[in-house]
Parts: sequence; structure tokens; C-alpha cells
Amino acid sequence: MKIALMGNPNVGKSTVFNVLTGSNQQVGNWAGKTVERKSGIIHRANEEIELIDLPGTYSLTAYSQEEIVTREYILREKPDVVMAMVDASNIERNLYLVLQILELAPRVVIGLNMMDLAKTAGITIHSNKLALALNVPVVEIIAAKGQGIEEFLTEAIRVGKLKKDPIADDVPYPEELENRIQAMERLLSDTIWATKYPLRWLAIKRLEQDPEIGQTWKSIPQTNQRNRSTDPCCDPGDPVKYELQESVSLPGEALLQAYEAEGWSKDHFEMAVADAKYQYISKILPEFRVNENPVKRTWTDKLDEWILSPFWGYPIMVIILSLVFWFSFVASAPLGGAVSEAMAWAADVIVVIMQWGQMPEVIQSLVRDGIFAGVGAVLAFVPQIAIFFAFFSLMQDSGYLARAAFLGDRFMQLMGLHGKSFFSLVSGFGCNVPGIMATRTLEDPKDRLITMLINPLIPCVPRLGVMSAVVAAFFPGSRGAFIMVSLLLLSMLLVMFSALFLRRVVRQKERSAFVMELPLYHVPTMRNVLLPTWQKTYSFLKRAWTFILVASIVVWVLSSYPQGVPMNETWAGKMGGWLAFIGQPLGFDWRIMVAIVFGFTAKETTLSTLGILYGVAADASQSIAQAMTGAMTPLGAYTFLVVYMLYIPCLASVVTTYKESRSLGWTSFGVAYNLILSFIIGWLIFHGGQLFGFQ
Amino acid sequence: MDRFLQDLKPGERARVERIEGGGALRRRMMDMGIVPGVELEVVRCAPLGGPLQIRLKGYYLAMRRGECARIMVCASNREYSEPSLASR
Ligand SMILES: Nc1nc2c(ncn2[C@@H]2O[C@H](COP(=O)(O)OP(=O)(O)O)[C@@H](O)[C@H]2O)c(=O)[nH]1
Ligand SMILES: [Mg+2]
Repeated sequence: MKIALMGNPNVGKSTVFNVLTGSNQQVGNWAGKTVERKSGIIHRANEEIELIDLPGTYSLTAYSQEEIVTREYILREKPDVVMAMVDASNIERNLYLVLQILELAPRVVIGLNMMDLAKTAGITIHSNKLALALNVPVVEIIAAKGQGIEEFLTEAIRVGKLKKDPIADDVPYPEELENRIQAMERLLSDTIWATKYPLRWLAIKRLEQDPEIGQTWKSIPQTNQRNRSTDPCCDPGDPVKYELQESVSLPGEALLQAYEAEGWSKDHFEMAVADAKYQYISKILPEFRVNENPVKRTWTDKLDEWILSPFWGYPIMVIILSLVFWFSFVASAPLGGAVSEAMAWAADVIVVIMQWGQMPEVIQSLVRDGIFAGVGAVLAFVPQIAIFFAFFSLMQDSGYLARAAFLGDRFMQLMGLHGKSFFSLVSGFGCNVPGIMATRTLEDPKDRLITMLINPLIPCVPRLGVMSAVVAAFFPGSRGAFIMVSLLLLSMLLVMFSALFLRRVVRQKERSAFVMELPLYHVPTMRNVLLPTWQKTYSFLKRAWTFILVASIVVWVLSSYPQGVPMNETWAGKMGGWLAFIGQPLGFDWRIMVAIVFGFTAKETTLSTLGILYGVAADASQSIAQAMTGAMTPLGAYTFLVVYMLYIPCLASVVTTYKESRSLGWTSFGVAYNLILSFIIGWLIFHGGQLFGFQ
Repeated sequence: MDRFLQDLKPGERARVERIEGGGALRRRMMDMGIVPGVELEVVRCAPLGGPLQIRLKGYYLAMRRGECARIMVCASNREYSEPSLASR
């Protein structure tokens, strides 16, 4: 039996799903989309049930990627039962989707969630009367406390096992509309389409000229997928793909034209149908909802007084974001350090074993300096990423993320971006990988792409660390702070410029609208925060793993062959020599070029690479930067800082961009754009600086 | 006098009369419950011409001024007479 959880965003679908499936989840993506697909198999009463957590949607008209996924699933895969979740504290708008579901799916159970919130807001809902009004079973739930979830499922199974489809009450449409729907029904009732979908729904969609009506889609299970892992968690594979089998035009073209002439265009039908549904909801609402104290101020009202305040909102946001950053990127440093040390220790142990086994020196070096050093550098920032994802889930579930988008929207609008891009860009300061992944909350794919492509221009914590060490060496005292601020300002300026520039490059049919719900505040549950954190961290690791491993080996080979020669004669050194002509206009010697090339695996390694190249063995970053002061002018150093800050952030972020955009073309474009931009800006600064007589 | 949602001050209430233009945006508004006849309240505005926070049907919505400028409203105490079908 296939059961799907459906409802508006933030009504508690995932909470119910997580409680029911526990860790027994399959997390992947929907075919061709970067929308998470979560399903799980559960067993109840000798029945195997596939439960699907559909993305939240406000209606069944496709708008965002999430909504397209949900709609396609309901239309094409036809789950046996739909568990329609409703937020009791916001029932009026929630029922709009329920009415749409009822028209399409024959077997529906309503889960009336957030009963606790409704109660504190002074709303009483009589679920039995709601069930009576719509003629659909209703179960009361408080998902966050685990109440009513099992009953909800039991009811869904019961409905799924009924011999005949239950009949829910129809939405009464006004007469002029009803007549037209019936006329269309008569035309369609003899076609085979009427056997596939409910007739009334079909007629309405035909009147609205829905493009999917008339198409047959076949779902193809992806059995031949090579790398389909058997891992119970985080399967990246797309379980099904759809293929268009045939597309026929349904009868009724003449009727549609006649209606058009009467002023009933497709837009008009849409509006009239929506309007009738809302009218119907308002009509039946008093039957089951008692609003004891409608003007009572809820927690959300009191919190928003501060959090959304034009005056206090921004300082509060700075405090919250600083806390998140501090925890994720500063407080987590010892954990990252521990990971590095553990890796170094493991490398040593393995090398000792290999020495004992008389393995050749080369292999030992490959393992220690290549694999463990490279992979370790990436693993060391897994704690950062995990903690950041935990906070991200926390902010998203609690409802703060939407508020941050509200406050940040004005600035994003200046760049032609959406308020939700704000958070992704801010996250980039911590690490570009989660920043790029955070673009998933953006509805419009083009907005998403642009946000993803400009994210790398924002310097992440590791880059800022390297930069501040170099700045401290070249610009001692208060000048250093000034230089650092100038670099950050430059990066912001370029982010803005690039956003506006990419707006022109990335074609967009229609500018996306900023119409966003500000959900009530919720206290997130532990499970809801930790499960996605684990899933995201794990999938990041899995994605990055092979790439990082290969890249580490490549870097090692380049820098150790031919063997036994000084650095500038290894392949890497030679490469630096060839690349020196690119660096020359900017005053870079081959060493800097090598460091830039190697920095690609992970930028925090740049300092130690430079250390090796300048012949400073010590690990202390200060001494390495000090060694550089002898070889470079301050102007040269500033140019280096600018180029270092702006060129492709690191391999992990490029891999993430590719995985998230699913486009090799755009990923390469992003890499090329960053490279070219950084060198152009570097050139301008170097020559501009010389012109004005800076040294 | 035609007024648009964008012109309301924080704390003011109004009733939706008409949504101008068509396409995805109007459908989106419909999905969020903005249909003719619905009563709205502007709760607050983000500074510097940022988005508006709007309350309707017992929940909160954030919308940009540009989008609000397409929603024509009338005073909320006036009785809404016509059965509401927008695009007529
Ligand atoms: N107060 C309260 N909060 C809940 C309840 N159910 C879920 N939540 C919270 O509502 C938020 C959104 O839930 P989620 O399951 O992510 O919603 P989804 O978007 O529908 O998947 C989370 O912070 C939950 O902890 C409930 O019954 N009462
Ligand atoms: Mg969810």
C-alpha cells in the first residue's frame, strides 16, 4: 500500500514521517530535481506500507519545483491513500489544499495537527464536525508530542482497505460555473480519461486548460542504475523517472472557445474555481471552528514585535547569525583539530605498519602526504558543516529563516535576488558548501542558480584565516584591520556586481515573486533537527569523498615527481613555471601560482604550500607569512590577497555546485567566471596601485 | 478612490477588491488565500521600502511592495456586495 503525506509547508508532515519511519528512511532526490525525496517502508497489521513525505505545497497548481514534484506524484503515481495534514491554528487556508486533494484523490484522511497551538491561540476545532462537514475522516494530532500519529496511520490503513472508494462531498460551485463544469463533464464522460481521474476534477482542469490533462506518463523504475547503493540512508539515486507516452487533445475545444467568447477565459475559470472553494470554506467554517478570542496575541505576535521590528530586527539578526557562526565555525574548531590529529595519527600508524611490511617509500609517502593529508583537510571541516546544518534545520523549523528572509529581502532586491538568497549568502561566510546547499529553499531555479554561482565570491572562514595571517605579516598594526575591511568590502561589491551581471546572463522568463508565508514559531523537535543534519552531512561526505581522494592523489603525484628534485623541478613546480606568464602581469612568481593551483583542493592548505615553497618548514602560519614578506611588496601581497579571496573557492564547493545545479555547463561557467574575475580585479589593483605609486 | 495594498499603513485593514494582471503571480496569490473579498491587515513594513507583513485568514504573509501594488483594496467596513468573481 502506498500512502503519501501531503499538506502546506510547515504543518508537521516531516515530524509525522520521522516518527513513523524512524531511521528507516530512504533519502534521495526526485527525478531530475534537487528536491529531497523521502520515503520509508513500515509494517502494520500484516501490511507493507510505503510512506512518502511529499514536499509542502499550497495548491496543486504547479509553481515551484516542490509543488511540481508533489503534483506529479499525485497525478502520475496515484498513492492508495493521501494523509492530508492540516494546521489547526491556520485551518482556513489549509483547507483550500484539502479541497483540491479531495477532488482528485478518492481516499483521503485528514490529520488535524498543531492542536496545542490552536488551543493556546484560543481556537477550538471540533474535529467530528469537520469530518461531518467534508464527509472525510479526521484525526486530531499533536505531532511534536507524538500524540495521535499512530491513530492517524491506522485510520489511513483502514480507508486504504475499504472495498469501495468513499465519497466525499463536492464543493458547491455557483450556478454559472456549475453549468459549465457539467457541460464539460458530459463531453468527457465517455473518454477513457474518465476512468483514470475523477470526472469532475478532469472537467475543471480541462476548463482551466491544464497542460497535463491528456498526457499519459509512464513511470520507469530505475533498476539498471549502476551505483544504486544498498545503503539504507541517503540513497542519491532517483527511484523513478517519468516518460511521456502519448499526448492527445481531449474533446471540448469548441466548448472552450465558446466560453472564451463569453468572457470565461482560462484565467477566469481558475479564479472562479478558487473563489468558490474559499467561499465554501468560509461558509462551513463556523460549523466546526470556534474562535474564542480572535484578537488574543500569540507567542508569535509577541516575538515578532522584536524580531521583525524595523529597529531591533537587525541587531537581533546579527546576534543570532553571530551565535550560529560562532558555534559552527569557531567553537567547533577543536573538533576539527581533533579530526585532523586523528587522521595524522592514523596515517602514522599505517605508515609504521607499512614500514614493517617493507613497503616502498613512495607508497608510504602517497598514503601519508597524499591521501591522508588531502582527505584529512576536508574531513577536518565536517564538524563545522554538521553543526552548521543542525543550526540551519533549527532556524528553518523554528520559523526564523523566513523572518531573516523578510528582513534581508530589501538588500537582496538591490541585487535582483530573492529574500531567501540572503541566508545562503550569509552562510557562505562560514563555508561555501552549506551556503550553496542552502539555496535549496529558493523556489525559482534561476534565482537559485545565480545565488549558487555568486556564493563562492564570499570568503569563507578558512579563507579569512589565511588572509588575516598574510595581512598581519604585511600590514602590521591598525593598517591591517583597514586592509581586511577593504577586502571584505571589495568582495561584497563584487557579489553585487556579479548578481546583476548574472541576471543578464541567466535567462529568466518571469521574475519570481516574493510572496512568502511567515509561519508561527515552533519549538523544533530533536529528531527533526538531528535526522536531516545527519543525512546532509553524510551525503556531503559521500559526494566529496571520491573527488577529494582523486584530487589529493593527483596533487601528491604532481608535487613528488620526478623524485628527489627540488620543488621547482617537480611537475607541479614546472606547472607553476608555465603558469608564471599568467601571474606575471600581477607580479606573481611561480611559487604563488603553484599555491593557487594547489589551493583548489582546500584553500586552507595554501599557507602550508607556500611554507614548503619558500622553504619554511615550521607549521606556524606566522612564520610562513613572515617568509613571504621578503619576497613580495605590500602591493603584491594585496593583489595576492584579492586573487586568493576571489578565485574558485575549493574542490568541495565546485563538486557541490555541480551536484546542486545538475549542470556541468553552469559549473564550468562558475569556475571560469571566478577565475577570470579574480585575475582581472587583481590586474586592475596591481597596475592601479603602481600608477598611484603604492609599493 | 482606488487604493492599493501598498498604500496602507501598518495597522490598517482593508478588503481585496481586485488583483491586477494575471499569470503565475496571481495564481500564487490565490493559493495563499488572496482572493477578492478577503480581509487583510498590514501588520508592519520592513524599513527602507522592504516587504510588507500582512495578516489574513489568521496567518502571516510577507510580500514585496511591487506585488502589493497589484492588489486593489477598499475599506474593510464597507459591505462587500457583489459576489466576488475577480476578472470581470
Ligand atoms: N506546537 C507544535 N509544533 C509542531 C507540531 N507538529 C510539528 N511541529 C513543529 O512544526 C515545525 C514544522 O514541522 P515539519 O514536520 O518540519 O513540517 P513540514 O514542513 O510539514 O514537514 C517543526 O518545528 C515541528 O517541531 C505540533 O503538533 N505542535
Ligand atoms: Mg518537511
